[in-house]
Amino acid sequence: MDDRLKKALDFSNFRQTVNIQRKNLKEKLQAKLTYGHAGGIFYIDRSLISFVQLCIDQGRTSGVPLLDSNDNPIIIEDLLKFKDEIFDRYFSAAFEYSNEYEALKKSRTVEKLLNL
Amino acid sequence: MKKGVVIFAHNSRQIDYALMSVIAGGLAKKNLNVPVTLITDESTVEWMKISKIHNKAKKIFENIIEVKKPVTNNQRLLIDTYSSTMVPFVNANRATVWDVTPYERTLLIDSDFLIMSNSLSEYWEADSKFMISSSINDVRGDRMGVLDKAVSDTGIPLSWATTVMFTKDKETKVIFDLVEHIRDNYGHYADLYNFNPAIFRNDIAFSLAAHIVNGFEYNSHNHLPPVLTAIGRDLIHDVDDNKLTLLINDEFTEDAVVATVIKDKDIHVMNKQSIVRNANKFMSLL
Repeated sequence: MDDRLKKALDFSNFRQTVNIQRKNLKEKLQAKLTYGHAGGIFYIDRSLISFVQLCIDQGRTSGVPLLDSNDNPIIIEDLLKFKDEIFDRYFSAAFEYSNEYEALKKSRTVEKLLNL
Repeated sequence: MKKGVVIFAHNSRQIDYALMSVIAGGLAKKNLNVPVTLITDESTVEWMKISKIHNKAKKIFENIIEVKKPVTNNQRLLIDTYSSTMVPFVNANRATVWDVTPYERTLLIDSDFLIMSNSLSEYWEADSKFMISSSINDVRGDRMGVLDKAVSDTGIPLSWATTVMFTKDKETKVIFDLVEHIRDNYGHYADLYNFNPAIFRNDIAFSLAAHIVNGFEYNSHNHLPPVLTAIGRDLIHDVDDNKLTLLINDEFTEDAVVATVIKDKDIHVMNKQSIVRNANKFMSLL
């Protein structure tokens, strides 16, 4: 095989591995940001966090109806506690994702990618 | 509410479902921290004793419930990387889980579904009484076909009975009874819903039952998360604590293999023989 083609195919294999690892990291992040509370299933994202903080800023902290990921209305009895929980989850998952993503970016071989 | 995981295992000559269920049960118990029950049959229990995994099974499973092994003519293609064989497929009694489960809230999983995270714990308290996975995600990302997404090319969306969670009450009893009715009249429903009836699939029966009970409409809400899936051509290369190294490919040639690592994420490993070949490594983690 032409050496140039072999190098290109090797690099292609490496890039493919990176892309698959990245996709799987994203899926893991999504799973970690899924939060069951009071019978609802919430996906913790920036808009949920912002809306919850807005409600708190407006003085609504108990008996607040929130729509979960399935648009089911869920009454949150203690919104301050709810906010603390989603904050903790978000940052714990996001930091983990960030660390693994950085390690992925720095890896230059398939072997290193797989040792993450 | 008492909650727990249930796994079915009926051995065939080709596949050691008993061994797989011990691995899947052990991982579920470890990562979800709930009891696990095995539904099996006399001959499979005998095999567990012969193969010296019965003691391990007794430690892992809260209950080992013996039922009559279903008689089946069901055959399916067992793909193991670059080879494949037709094997008997004993899956006809899955809907009886409603009757036999000792739990009020049950997570039913396939014996090739390896729970390596606590993600499914978020769903125990969900208001929905019946939840099933709405889709599968290919571990590689580009190998899903039309029939992985719908019961036929013009049919309703396909749900995946790899993971099913339900509360045991009259409402969910209707769904499980309907799955049995669909199984018993599979050809009729194949005509109605335009799918291939050659193999009885729980995925299809559960999809139809959920569709019918929901007023002949697809319920786009209240699903369990998509099932991350390594297909039959993929191989488990190594096993570590909540971490699998997989060799995945898109071609029937070893030249196209790409490696990947799945860590802290539940995964459906369709290559059953690959789980069995790595059984010692899995067992050492339990």
